[in-house]
Amino acid sequence: MSLARIRWMATVLGVLGVAGVLVLHWLVFFWVGTERTMGIVQRIFYVHVPSAWVTFLAFGITALCGAAYLWLRDERLDWAAQSAAEGGLIFGAIMLTSGPLWAAYAWGTPWTWEPRLTLTLLMWFVFVGYFLVRASAEDRQAGKRMAAVIGVLGALLIPLVHVSVLWFPSLHPQPVVLNVEEGPTLDGDMLITLMTGLLAFTLIFFSVFCLRYGLEHLRYQRALALREQPRAT
Amino acid sequence: MTVYLRQVAAIVRKDLLLEVRTGERLAAMGALTVLVAVLFHFAIDQGLVRMQLLAAGLIWMTILFGGMLGMGRTFEMEREQGAIQGLLTSPVPLDGIYLAKVVSNFVLVTLIEVVALAAYWLFFGFNYGNDPLLLAGVLGVATLGFVAVTTLFSAISAQTNMGQTLLPILIFPLLVPVVIFGVTATGRIFASRPVQEVEGSLYLLAAFTVVALTAGTILFRYVVEE
Repeated sequence: MSLARIRWMATVLGVLGVAGVLVLHWLVFFWVGTERTMGIVQRIFYVHVPSAWVTFLAFGITALCGAAYLWLRDERLDWAAQSAAEGGLIFGAIMLTSGPLWAAYAWGTPWTWEPRLTLTLLMWFVFVGYFLVRASAEDRQAGKRMAAVIGVLGALLIPLVHVSVLWFPSLHPQPVVLNVEEGPTLDGDMLITLMTGLLAFTLIFFSVFCLRYGLEHLRYQRALALREQPRAT
Repeated sequence: MTVYLRQVAAIVRKDLLLEVRTGERLAAMGALTVLVAVLFHFAIDQGLVRMQLLAAGLIWMTILFGGMLGMGRTFEMEREQGAIQGLLTSPVPLDGIYLAKVVSNFVLVTLIEVVALAAYWLFFGFNYGNDPLLLAGVLGVATLGFVAVTTLFSAISAQTNMGQTLLPILIFPLLVPVVIFGVTATGRIFASRPVQEVEGSLYLLAAFTVVALTAGTILFRYVVEE
């Protein structure tokens, strides 16, 4: 894909995403009904769930593109994996700050070792490791490969981590917790608001993704240009 | 196959011989293990908490930190004198090098576990239950999983300028299953609970170990290739 095309896509997705977020906030503040038991705090949910969704999506893209990069060695796959990981880091941070804010009221405690909380926290740390390795690698190419390995290994082991936490402390699964957390089926207006949030956050993620991808593209072109340019004396 | 095994055995032998002659990693790991136990003695008010109840957790934390300290140097040692170049250009397949490193690290960490169990028994009089065979089985399986993950990541951290500082950040998120099931299983063995209560954890530890070892064997080549 050409650079101009990427920029164009990033702009379109960004404009749509920002518009979506504005609509989302209008819906959240003025339109959607207040949840009966949790009250007004429940509205954090419309920011929290979309950011969680995007974090998981980003993690998936990083792992898939990382695996494909190790196999095909196409630089573009590495750009994609890196761009997704950066998005995941940001949206993961949103998720991890909005969650406890909500939980402090809804559960009476900002943090519990509920399986999904633990899973997402650990996943976020895998992303942190991903960037630390990239940044500190002595050899850039090796850094890309090692980061890809972390992405792939993370994707393989994180499900196991999830299962482990699910079964902790007793070996009995606790599906009830998950169901209760999910709540009863959402009301129509809540569902619409949530869907708007999911759409808006996904658009913003892909816009940031395209921008970041374009930046890597530009860096690559510049590196090529520098190499081809005859050395000035 | 036999050639492959012989190559792996040769590297294991080299690593262990190096360890016997210099003893540098083992000395550091052993000292840390005992010192952590000493610090735990002062860190926990034994008038308020019964140490035996925390036994499994304390021992696992000690093993994790002690093991990480030694394993973090697996590849740094090789890189210092450029020995890694010789190893990588030798006819041994890359996965063979990984497996050999896993085996030699496994031996080291197992020794550390013996030191840890002895130190905790000596300092706190811990009761380790009445099924030493099952305890050895659980420790063995969990250690293999721990070593499989840490060996791969020590190859990664050795190639960064952050070195061993990076290792815990990379491995701790992924080692959560080892901690959960290792502690659950050993805790129950210490309390002399029936085997049925340990089985589940043991199977999950085994599953983790298989996944970690397989993934490590496949992914190692991408970490070290030049």
